[in-house]
Amino acid sequence: MRRFDYHRAETLEQASRLLTELGDDTFVFNGGTDLLVEIRERLRRVRNVVDIKQIPGLSDITYDETRGLTFGALVTVGRLENLSLVRQRYPNLRSALASLGSIQVRNRATVVGNICRASPSADTIPPLVADGAFVHIYSRTDMRVVPIAEFFTGAGKTVLAKGEIVTGITVPPAADNIGKAYLKHGRRKAMELSTVGVAVSLAMEEGVCSDIRIALGAVGATVLRAPQAEAMLRGTRLDAAAVRNAADKAMEECTPISNVRASADYRRDMVGVLTGRAIKQALETFA
Amino acid sequence: MNMTTPIEQREFRIVGKSVKRDDVLEKVTGEAQYTGDIKRPGMLYGKIKRASIAHARIKAIDVSKALAYPGVKAVLTHQNVPRVLHYGSPHPRSASCTKDQYILDDKVRFWGEGVAAVAAISEEIADEALDLIEVEYEALPAVFEPEDAVQPGAPLIHDVGPGGNLVLDPVRVNRGDIDKGFSEADFILEGTFAGGRPHPAYMEPNVCIADWDGSNKLTFWTSTQTSFMVRGILAEVLGLPLTKVRVLVDHMGGGFGAKQDVFQHEFLCALLAKETRRPVKMEFTRHETFVAGRSRHPCRIWLKQGFKNDGTLIARDMKLVYDSGAYGSHGPGVTIVGTTAATSLYRCENVRLEGRCVYTNTPVNGAFRGYGVVQSYYALDIQMDEAAERLGMDPAELKLKNVVRAGDIAPSGHPIIGHGLEICLKHGIDVLNWKRLRSRDRTPDPKRPQIRKGWGIGCEMHGSSAYPGIKEQGNATVKINEDGTVTLLTGAAGLGTGAHTALAQIVAEELGVRFEDVGVIHGDTDVVPWDIGAFASHTTYLVGTAAKMAAGKVRAAVLERAAMKLQVSSDEIDLCDGKVFVAAEPDRAMTVSEAMGPSRGIPAANIVANGTYEPTKSYSFAAHFTEVEVDTETGIVEVKRVVPVHDVGRVIHPIAAQGQIEGGIQQGIGHTLTEDYLIDKKTGRSLNAGLVDYKMPLSMDMPDIETIILEAAPDPGGPWGAKGVGEDPIIAIGPSIANAIYDAIGIRFHHYPIIPEDVLKALREKGA
Ligand SMILES: Cc1cc2nc3c(=O)[nH]c(=O)nc-3n(C[C@H](O)[C@H](O)[C@H](O)COP(=O)(O)OP(=O)(O)OC[C@H]3O[C@@H](n4cnc5c(N)ncnc54)[C@H](O)[C@@H]3O)c2cc1C
Repeated sequence: MRRFDYHRAETLEQASRLLTELGDDTFVFNGGTDLLVEIRERLRRVRNVVDIKQIPGLSDITYDETRGLTFGALVTVGRLENLSLVRQRYPNLRSALASLGSIQVRNRATVVGNICRASPSADTIPPLVADGAFVHIYSRTDMRVVPIAEFFTGAGKTVLAKGEIVTGITVPPAADNIGKAYLKHGRRKAMELSTVGVAVSLAMEEGVCSDIRIALGAVGATVLRAPQAEAMLRGTRLDAAAVRNAADKAMEECTPISNVRASADYRRDMVGVLTGRAIKQALETFA
Repeated sequence: MNMTTPIEQREFRIVGKSVKRDDVLEKVTGEAQYTGDIKRPGMLYGKIKRASIAHARIKAIDVSKALAYPGVKAVLTHQNVPRVLHYGSPHPRSASCTKDQYILDDKVRFWGEGVAAVAAISEEIADEALDLIEVEYEALPAVFEPEDAVQPGAPLIHDVGPGGNLVLDPVRVNRGDIDKGFSEADFILEGTFAGGRPHPAYMEPNVCIADWDGSNKLTFWTSTQTSFMVRGILAEVLGLPLTKVRVLVDHMGGGFGAKQDVFQHEFLCALLAKETRRPVKMEFTRHETFVAGRSRHPCRIWLKQGFKNDGTLIARDMKLVYDSGAYGSHGPGVTIVGTTAATSLYRCENVRLEGRCVYTNTPVNGAFRGYGVVQSYYALDIQMDEAAERLGMDPAELKLKNVVRAGDIAPSGHPIIGHGLEICLKHGIDVLNWKRLRSRDRTPDPKRPQIRKGWGIGCEMHGSSAYPGIKEQGNATVKINEDGTVTLLTGAAGLGTGAHTALAQIVAEELGVRFEDVGVIHGDTDVVPWDIGAFASHTTYLVGTAAKMAAGKVRAAVLERAAMKLQVSSDEIDLCDGKVFVAAEPDRAMTVSEAMGPSRGIPAANIVANGTYEPTKSYSFAAHFTEVEVDTETGIVEVKRVVPVHDVGRVIHPIAAQGQIEGGIQQGIGHTLTEDYLIDKKTGRSLNAGLVDYKMPLSMDMPDIETIILEAAPDPGGPWGAKGVGEDPIIAIGPSIANAIYDAIGIRFHHYPIIPEDVLKALREKGA
């Protein structure tokens, strides 16, 4: 382990100031399940960490039928995973949460930490993208809200400027006609980073798909949408042939790389398989 | 059952019962002291600078900045450590080792090899100082595959040994007449097989602490399976008598064979401590356990066998090439054991085998559970399945026809007493109703049409003890205390298997005291009798017999003394549960403590006895019956159910034996489906030296395992017929999975790990 200095902020203002004033190599320390590993494995140079866990007001979870689900930066994966609301209304997010690491990791890790790390394989990002979530960002001059699809600028990179802190995430409400799924592909059933992750959110009106969002994880520098595949499915009954064609299209739309976890070709194949299966599973929500 | 020496039949009080392990309370409460938990006053921390190149000469090495760094106390390089050529695995009684290592050399032979070491007041400072060491390399051409390493003109990795990058001269075994065999065959099968590089990934990373006292004596705590070997080689290389080196090992978090080498960091730790006159601790990171630890030898096998139409196996021609990595380590032993193992398992009169072991510029491969046999039996068992397919026979039937039986010569060259493979196979066939399984309805489940199910069988046999490669010896000392409690002194390491519990059970049973009354002292080379090390599935078999011998002597002495006190002859009395009594009149009795204590005219007793046992070898057997599900869209293979049927002779501790079997299966599933330590074939860099991308199956991935342990074929060489169980389970599971995959999708895989991409690709090629 490399040495670093630890600072604890009591307010957002103080945290933001520390992040700016302590100079480069200063990072927000949330659950630490990514940050500490990166320090230990020397993947990131860190001189200072700013612990935000004592800042009040960042641990709330609220839901209302117009805004949807809002949770603060300190809300752990485990807490969200065990909410019956999440289980019922956001089965795609719930499936991502339940697949993240192990129980021990989930009790420590936060969803906000997961998105701020911006790993291409992060599990909670695809469902949040498929659901059209928003990210709340604090800076000492203003607050801004960014659609999650615009939050990522590359692998490990986000729109966050120096001194900015994510305070929470809002996921739009889930109507009764919306079906959702998230499928993760890996070699293990737990403690596994995804080789491919596919999230689907779709709306059905009288047997016809009125809207669908497909989000693909670990097959690009950031989580990708599959807009052409989605377009092919809107207005259809999501019959087997339509789904098959759209899944093939999604394979074309992704940009996977080869690494020790899988080859690009295999990842592409799995985008096809998982897209088809995720749509099927999302439809089963109504069954 | 065919036995030359009768095995004592008796009612057991303690043996065969799953008594509470002696270490369990300490471990669950976290009190157990592992080497990494130990802190010495004034202790420094050592770290190793590792090469960032696979093959090179060190042209220059500048440590001045590191030495000047605040908190750094010493830096070692090849320029200031003793230059002694030594063994990596210095088994004192083995002929099959290679002297090819220096503590530090001016040559680098693999990416990640240590080139310098630092001691500092904190681990962090030591780590930071590593970056300040400047090494200038002169790159040498490197070879990463055995095929390339043996080409004429390939760069030579060592200038010792037989040359041509061979670790040892090829191992050749010939039995019968191979040409005649093939000429009489009705058909011939030929294939090549390849095994990956699984890594043991024991929970406790390698760790040691060195501390020199004022009399220039070295005390050395280290996580090792072979403390006396560590003592011997440290003394040799440091030029010390054995009285000046004391090696200590208490609890260990596993080793799986890999912790029976002597590692570079162990020498460096001792030398840093000597240089600084302060205790020094060195602990591997997980990354280092991969890079600087030991893995299983990748292996390429060519196998050609001739069969008769009635299923008789008549000729076997086999060539094996093991990849040793950059040093010899256990390469010779693995090659000899893995190659000669192929004389057996399925009987064949005409055999020609050739095993080679080749240096490459990759991390070192060493001893690992299954020791070369995992590789060779994978090939043998899969090809036997192919023969059954060719014959239109049930593989179970063909295997049953050909398995080794009483009277056959073991790979070690001596006749096996207690053959259990046939009975293991038969038992599994019965329990599972195998015939019905074979003829089951194979229509896919309409709810999961992409899933195919299959069943496969894998067979194995494995020796307890490394005879004849190593002339083994087990030692035990048993003392009885004045209150009737008993102390066993043993050098056998406790890797976490529960071996000390089994030894205590044996002593309590033989002596006639309660299990709770036996204490075990282990892991201090200054105190316990000499020990060869905990490996080769032999601890219970070998040290167990020595302990039984010593306990028997103590029992006789106690009986004699009690007889004197009871005024009867010693053959009239018996000793049980700590009580001595006249057999015919159980009321005439005294406790062991009364027998031991002083009484008028008789001083208190001091009874100590040694047991020394030099065994040959026993063999244990297993047949694994495995069900898999193959997802034909993703290529994922899931093991659903395993019924392992093992014959291990007399079972001393059933739960511990079962634990070994389940653990071996878990490890074997990993090796067959997910685990492979990958080396970049362009640079020699490790690609997945860590637990994120080296994929071991976890508890969630485990199938149902319904372990069956038979006591069908005991060997008189072990205590009451006990044989080894440690390595067996990892051998049979692999081919059982590969055979089950064939049963499911009709595709033969000849390699491991069989990863989803391979399955999907093969399915496509087949046009499924
Ligand atoms: C054993 C193990 C298994 C894992 N398995 C998975 C898995 O299956 N799937 C998966 O997706 N991930 C996995 N992870 C990664 C990690 O647990 C998740 O990414 C987690 O959600 C990170 O949250 P955290 O609160 O711990 O983040 P931290 O480590 O505290 O922070 C992560 C990054 O986000 C920044 N950050 C955190 N909060 C904020 C904020 N409010 N504002 C601005 N920046 C912020 C930090 O500076 C840092 O750069 C695993 C990790 C471990 C150790």
